Amino acid sequence: MFSTQTFFDSFGPLFWAARYTLLVSGLGIALGLVIGALVCAAALSRVRALRRFAALWVSFLRGVPLLVQLLLMYYLLPVIGINVPAIAAAVITVGICASAYISEIWRGAIGALPPGQSEAAAAIGMAPRDIWTRIVLPQAVVMSLPALVNELILLVKASSLVSVVGILEVTRASQAQAATTFRPLEVYLAAACIYLLINLCLAGLGRYLEHRMAV
Amino acid sequence: MELSVFQDYGPMLLRGFGVTIFCWLAGTVLGMLLGLLVALAQRYGPRPLRWLLQVYIEVIRGTPFLVQLFVLYYGGPLIGLRLDALPAGLLGLTVYGSPYFAEIFRSGFNAVPIGQIEAARAIGMAEPSIVRRILLPLGLVSALPALVNFSIILTKETVILSIITVPELMYQVQRMSTETFRYLEANLVLALFFWGLVETISRAGRRLETRITRHLIERV
Amino acid sequence: MVQASAVEIRNLDKFYGPFQALKQIDLTIPPGKVTCLIGPSGSGKSTLLRCINFLEEYDAGEVRIDDQLIGYDGPGRKMSARKLRQMRRSIGMVFQQFNLWPHMTALENVAEGLIRVRGLGKADAATRAAEALRKVGLEDKMQNHPARLSGGQQQRVAIARAIAMEPRLMLFDEPTSALDPELVGEVLQVMKTLAGEGMTMAVVTHEMGFAAHVADQVAFMEAGELVAVDSPDAILHNPSDPRISDFLRTYHERNAF
Repeated sequence: MFSTQTFFDSFGPLFWAARYTLLVSGLGIALGLVIGALVCAAALSRVRALRRFAALWVSFLRGVPLLVQLLLMYYLLPVIGINVPAIAAAVITVGICASAYISEIWRGAIGALPPGQSEAAAAIGMAPRDIWTRIVLPQAVVMSLPALVNELILLVKASSLVSVVGILEVTRASQAQAATTFRPLEVYLAAACIYLLINLCLAGLGRYLEHRMAV
Repeated sequence: MELSVFQDYGPMLLRGFGVTIFCWLAGTVLGMLLGLLVALAQRYGPRPLRWLLQVYIEVIRGTPFLVQLFVLYYGGPLIGLRLDALPAGLLGLTVYGSPYFAEIFRSGFNAVPIGQIEAARAIGMAEPSIVRRILLPLGLVSALPALVNFSIILTKETVILSIITVPELMYQVQRMSTETFRYLEANLVLALFFWGLVETISRAGRRLETRITRHLIERV
Repeated sequence: MVQASAVEIRNLDKFYGPFQALKQIDLTIPPGKVTCLIGPSGSGKSTLLRCINFLEEYDAGEVRIDDQLIGYDGPGRKMSARKLRQMRRSIGMVFQQFNLWPHMTALENVAEGLIRVRGLGKADAATRAAEALRKVGLEDKMQNHPARLSGGQQQRVAIARAIAMEPRLMLFDEPTSALDPELVGEVLQVMKTLAGEGMTMAVVTHEMGFAAHVADQVAFMEAGELVAVDSPDAILHNPSDPRISDFLRTYHERNAF
């Protein structure tokens, strides 16, 4: 029998654990935005070596499963003499992984801008630097917002994987709950509900942004 | 770096690789079929069914694959769904992929110009014929890049099956690394392996796309 | 040539939400004749044309093809999909955007309807399709996919696709509007030949030359209303209504450049 009692009782501890889910995905996307901007700049740079580096970065991080990246980082950091708490390793890994996707989102947004936009700016004699900061980037960033929200939704889901390196976020907390209550179905369904709730809110934000852009 | 450990574990890793490829292929094919059914039902089904499928899509897309697997594998027995790890993983992968595939098919169908459907209606073609002869072939072609792309994402998702003890490559590599204490090397090689696999599949996918769309592209 | 059809349109109304796209249209398209529908864009001429084969569902009034009502069995009762398909088989349609199926060769585009709708065997269908393509002068392009054809050639394939079904009535929805100017002539020529064979044709067009020389009657529409129906000469050279003269003046001014 499905125990409604256990199902609803699980929400308390799981909501409390959700702060780590939000922390990992929130800091992860922040870090991803910063590194992603650098990688995107490298990808669009005139220097061939930078472009190659950006291509490798993106291809490696998009080719390797996040779970493998997490374990790799977890075992690599101590070996190269960096001792940070597991949570920091998790955030760094999620952020680095996200940077690959984010740099592609931005590259796509910049590429999607009609060439006429910068041509019109060049035609009135704007300097390349101003064309970038005044014309290209503002439009590209706005255009990329829905895709970035989507990326954040992916990160919220991906953050469930940091449970394997012992971060007590929603998934890990639900494993603990399931073990003590012996009601895995109810507990995991409750965990699913929490993820769904977070992501529906984010999806709503994404639709709102898209709607505002369409005006 | 000590790579000789891989030799002793060769057969085990090979088996794991086989399970990974099997899960990926079977999961992709089944997920695509389920997704196609969902997309067609959403296009032609009655309103309550369409609404129900929309909920299904949102729920599956809004929750992590890992949690879905936990619900299925550990929660399933409570409602009489007792599955071994491998079938549970396969079912999980199929269900997990289906809403993404459904959405890909849906936008593929939407990309078919309405005029080409109207042209078929105007000569009196019946709706099932239109689906089979016009909507499916054209929709599939425009969905192809996204289909390839998502299949590649599924390759990477298969490693999550290791957490519910499906004996695929990731699982075997973790077993090996705990037995030999070569955690870093094992995971590094695993990473490089997946990198190569994903790159290879992407390349093959792009070739497939150009082959299929060759005669559809206007000669300018 | 199969027996040509006549179309009777009575009191036709069509709404898009609160917007009335067609207002009380009355029009007779006589058998074996060419009727051109002209007027400014947004006047409802394409909508009217699309009501004739019920690609556009009208809200009130009736469209009869050889005395048979299309789209409805009676007041407010939609015709079954099967019966509608039956009626559409004898109505050919040519679209502004050609709407050829890009994954099929020219021959396959023409044969598709013969196989799926008329139930012909593959070989039979191919023979008939080749015949239709010969008629529009494309016997040497049969194996080409649409992407390998010029716009004019694509539109001629689309005409072949329609006539292969042996329609008794042909609808043309701005068949030359999407074409480069130098490709318009070849399409109009095929249409003229078809008209010469006694096909009933309804043509929405901006080609006043075609209307003047090939049409038997010209209908002028504006803002969802049918303003006048008369001989090409009367409409194009002695317009009775100021709205027609305004339209023609704009048309000639544009073409003066």
